[in-house]
Formats: sequence, structure tokens, C-alpha cells
Amino acid sequence: MAVLVLLSVILVRNLKVENPGKKQLALEAFIGFLNAFFEGILGDEGKRYIPYLITVALYIGCANLIGLFGFKPPTKDLNVTAGLAIMSLVLIYYAGFRQKGAKKFFMGFAEPMPIVTPINIMEIAIRPVSLCMRLFGNVIGAFVIMELIKMIVPVIIPIPFSFYFDVFDGLIQTYVFVFLTSLFMKEQME
Amino acid sequence: MINLGWGLVWTIINLIVLYLLLKKFLVGPVLGVMEKRKAMIAQQLENARVTQQKAEELKGHYEGALASAKEESAQILEDAKADAKQVSERMMKDANEQAAKIIEAAKTTAEQEKRNAMQGAKAEIAGLAMEAARKLLENGSSEEGNQMLYDQFLAKAGDGNDTDIH
Repeated sequence: MAVLVLLSVILVRNLKVENPGKKQLALEAFIGFLNAFFEGILGDEGKRYIPYLITVALYIGCANLIGLFGFKPPTKDLNVTAGLAIMSLVLIYYAGFRQKGAKKFFMGFAEPMPIVTPINIMEIAIRPVSLCMRLFGNVIGAFVIMELIKMIVPVIIPIPFSFYFDVFDGLIQTYVFVFLTSLFMKEQME
Repeated sequence: MINLGWGLVWTIINLIVLYLLLKKFLVGPVLGVMEKRKAMIAQQLENARVTQQKAEELKGHYEGALASAKEESAQILEDAKADAKQVSERMMKDANEQAAKIIEAAKTTAEQEKRNAMQGAKAEIAGLAMEAARKLLENGSSEEGNQMLYDQFLAKAGDGNDTDIH
């Protein structure tokens, strides 16, 4: 976390509007990509949540990729993923509440039909649990398999597996987590 | 590892702190710069558009001025031509008139001259006839004398002294 903040401060230190350097261009392309991605899902009314989603994306991305450097990924701790999921839950319903107002927000549970109301209420719990468990299960599964492979063959062989389990799986889970969060938010805001 | 504990709360607090820090130091400035650049580009495009419009307007203005100048010059040329033509025509007419007048005057003069000459000749002839008559009366009438007088008259008023051809 400290590394992320420090890196941000260093990278952002001298941004220019005109004649951006290579570093700035890369940074802008990266942030712009994330921004465009979330904006595409959330639309104009969701702009205020984009910095949080970018933060979460960076956090989970770094947490998943940190296994490459020999650290234990923090996301294999259920507490961390549960925290992230609870934050997402709060954000999803806060966005809906803010967008629609109290009455329409509570009426929204009875849509598209009143009969689905219990399911919609159950969703409040189901969504964060599924977000949390998906991330946790994927990361701990990848971690355990990588540890097993390292126990059996410590050299060379773990490299291709590491590419899959650490890099690919980590990034995909990051993508899925923030994508679903923003999708649920959009759904709530409508 | 599976059970939840205080770690959950720490995670949430960490996440919020990270969010605030990243918003302040990473996302805010970068998006701000991008937004600023977008605004600048839009502004410049707008400027370019305005400038072009102005230039277009000026061009139209100048073209109009040029066309009117051309027209004016053509008009002036036309006028000058017409003027010159008029002047030359007038001069021609004047000259013709003058020539006609001169010819007229010459004709009149010649007529006058001729008449004068005629008059003179008539007077002379009359004088001669009177002379002859006087001589004839002085000398008496004779064949000889008549012949001589006749000859004399012929000699004085003959071809040699004839002013008129006819």
C-alpha cells in the first residue's frame, strides 16, 4: 500500500498539460483505460465512484501479482476479500440509494415483479458473499497449487504455472471483481 | 484463515485510506490533467474554427472589393473610350464644318471675282464701243474707217484679251 501511494506521488509529481513525457503518457494511458472502462459501464452519473473503483482495481491487482515476488498474496486471507466485498456492497446500495432516493430505492426491490422481492433481498447478502468467495477461492487455490508445484519441482517448472496462476488468474479475478461491482452499481442506479 | 476477525475491519480501514490517498495523488491529478488537456484541445479547435471563419469572411470581403475594383476600372475604361470617341467625333465634325465653310467662302469669293471681272469686261467693252462710236462719229463713216474700227475692236477685245473662255 505504501509502495502504491509512493509510486503514485512520484509518478504524478510533475504532470503537464502540454508536451507530456513518455512516463506521463504511459500513466495517462493506464489510468485513462481504467477510467474509460468504468465510465463505459457506469455512465455519467457514476463518475464519482470511478476513483474508488480504480483504487480497488489497483489494490487487488497488486495483491494478486505480489505472489510473483515471493510474498503471500493478501487476497488469500478471507478477511481481506470479505472487507473488499463489504465495501462493494455498501457502495452498490449507496449508489442506488443516492441515485433514486429512498422511496424508489426500496420500491426497486419489488422489480420487475413483486414476487421476486425476497430474491432481491437475498441478493444483498449473496452478492458480497459471491464476490468475496470467488476472489478468495481463486487466489487461495492458485496459491496452494503453486506451493505444491514448488514443493515437487522447485526450478524452471513453476515458471509457466506461475504465469497462469499468478499473472493471468490474478488479473482476471481483479477484472471480474471490479467489473461485477460496477455492473451491480449500474443495475442499482437504474 | 477461513474465519473472519478483526482483519476484516483493518482491511476496510486500509482500503478507505488507500482510496483517499490514491484519489488525492493518482487518479485526481491524472484525470485532471487529461480533462484539462481535453478542454485545451477543444478550446484550440474552437479558436481555429473561429479564426478560419474570420479568414473566410475577410476573404469574401476582399474578393468583393477586388470584383468591385475590377468593375470600376472597366467602367472607367468604358467612360474614357466613350469620351475619346465623342471628342474625336466632335473634332471631325468641326473640321468638316470648317472645311465646308472655307470651301463655301472660297466659292463665294470666286463667284464675286468672276462677277467683278465680268463687270469690268462689260464696262471695258462698253467703253470700247463708245470709243469706237466716238471715233466713227469724229472720222465719218467710211468703208475703210469701218474696217479699221472693226479690226481695232477685234484686236482690243479679241481672244488675247478675253477673260472669259466662253
